[in-house]
Amino acid sequence: MRKPVVVLGLGNPLMADEGIGVYLVERLLESADKYPGVDFVDAGTGGFSILYHIEDRRKAIVIDCAFMDEPPGTVKHFTPEEVQSVKVLAHQSLHEADLMQIIAMARQLGQAPDEIVIFGIQPQRVEPGLGLSRTLTERIDEYISMIQHELGE
Amino acid sequence: MSNRTVNINVHHVTRIEGHGNIVLNATNGKIEKLQWQVPEAPRFFEAMVRGRSYEDIQIIVSRICGICSISHSLAATKAVENATGIQVSEQTDKIRLLMHYSEQLQSHVLHVGYLVAPDLFGMPSVVPLVAAAPGPVKTIIGLHRLANEWSALLAGRITHPVTLRPGGMTKIPTETQLRELQDRLRQCLPDLKAVADVVLSAAGNLPKFERPTEYVALKDTRTPHYAFYHGEIASTDCAGTVAVNDWKTVANEFVSDQSTSKWAKWHRASYAVGALARFNINAELLSPTAKAVAKMFGLQKGCCNPYFNSVAQIVEAVHVVDTSIELIEELLTRGLKQEAIAVSPKAGKASAAVEAPRGILFHEYEFDRKGNCMSADLCIPTTQNHANIQKDMEKLVPEILDEPQDKIRLKLEMLVRAYDPCVSCSTHMLDVKFVR
Repeated sequence: MRKPVVVLGLGNPLMADEGIGVYLVERLLESADKYPGVDFVDAGTGGFSILYHIEDRRKAIVIDCAFMDEPPGTVKHFTPEEVQSVKVLAHQSLHEADLMQIIAMARQLGQAPDEIVIFGIQPQRVEPGLGLSRTLTERIDEYISMIQHELGE
Repeated sequence: MSNRTVNINVHHVTRIEGHGNIVLNATNGKIEKLQWQVPEAPRFFEAMVRGRSYEDIQIIVSRICGICSISHSLAATKAVENATGIQVSEQTDKIRLLMHYSEQLQSHVLHVGYLVAPDLFGMPSVVPLVAAAPGPVKTIIGLHRLANEWSALLAGRITHPVTLRPGGMTKIPTETQLRELQDRLRQCLPDLKAVADVVLSAAGNLPKFERPTEYVALKDTRTPHYAFYHGEIASTDCAGTVAVNDWKTVANEFVSDQSTSKWAKWHRASYAVGALARFNINAELLSPTAKAVAKMFGLQKGCCNPYFNSVAQIVEAVHVVDTSIELIEELLTRGLKQEAIAVSPKAGKASAAVEAPRGILFHEYEFDRKGNCMSADLCIPTTQNHANIQKDMEKLVPEILDEPQDKIRLKLEMLVRAYDPCVSCSTHMLDVKFVR
């Protein structure tokens, strides 16, 4: 029996702010024992593996870097219904995925949780490099606090 | 004789691993340029492992690939053990074989379900296929997940094994876990059959194309079975086998101007490796259910239609599940024992071969008396297929040049996809000696 809630951190830590989802999940894991009903998962650039992680869950929280036309560092939380994807896929690789499409796929297959919340964080830099930009680093505690609030702390 | 003028330039073929280009320029029926190009950057793994301890080799080279990391890890571990005189127990050998089978299922399901099926059903990717055929897609996703969890049970995680060490395993599954896996494998056989049925319904869309080809794969003459992990090197072009340590006399790698990956040749200008090669060498040794699936598709030994490599993969997926169910029963009957790893590596040089999902894979290493690596040479299955892809194109294109341009393009892309190439595994560092 799986835990009812999963928090997925998406992204690639080798591409600076693109790794924000993974960094945040690593931070959240430090207090994972406060959330016994939650799985915190570094889903990296897993693409289709997202389908496995969200199956048989009541709620999924997904954290990812997102291009939202907002100032760098802006965090927004939204449900899939509130947005429309404008991502253009070249279909070059299975790692290249549109989260909205994966969620739609999961729904069509009857494998999606009833509740999905996405935290999108506008990046400052997406380029090869380790470590987040200062813009995002300075707001890490704010992001953590928002996600923990969503978890019902 | 065609008088068509066709210009096709596929920059980065989609739905393969890594990057490759297809270029076709024909004017008034005369083919001026036809190339399968590999532009991937070199990976430098053979240089990276120099100076490293024999204990580190497998961990490093597993990173060559994310789909076939188990095959690279197993080939490396076997080669390290062969070179340094380290033996393993029968239990270790069987557990590693079981691990290897998991990767065959995982890779074949991914390839057939996500990469090839869209072409058969006229879709750009698997995503729109969900709306058209949600049931089969769900089945593919479930099978892929099972295979991943099977790999994780034996390798420690889905990608890049952590349970392999020269001389043994750092962790083995419990008997309860193996029994549960065995149950899941029995339950998945109807799903595999369902996938075969769906692919069969669209198999008419596999191009009808044949080219007499040399096929190369492992063959075990000591204990005959459909070989993935043990055996020597066999070819459809000659009787007998070649010892794995002599793999260079088989691959005969050479540099091609159109590719950052080397090409290979043996008895002909090229040869093919992979599921169809294994089928053509070992088909009579498949499980009865796998043979039945082959019969469904009309796949027979001697098939030289490269598009049928994907069909051979479905046949192999059934076979590895059948064989693994029996292998688990063997392990449980023997009883699992915790085995300590105690090794004293010696200086030496040796090779090992395993059948990665995409074909026969060679790893060769030399170690000094301290167990540090002095040299490495890795020959990847996709490297061995590149020349054959080129030769297939050279026969195919004149036969289809009068078809609409988009159909020619599709058939060329499908040809590349049929080989299930792992292009980023296969690129190589040039090693040249200047003669002027």
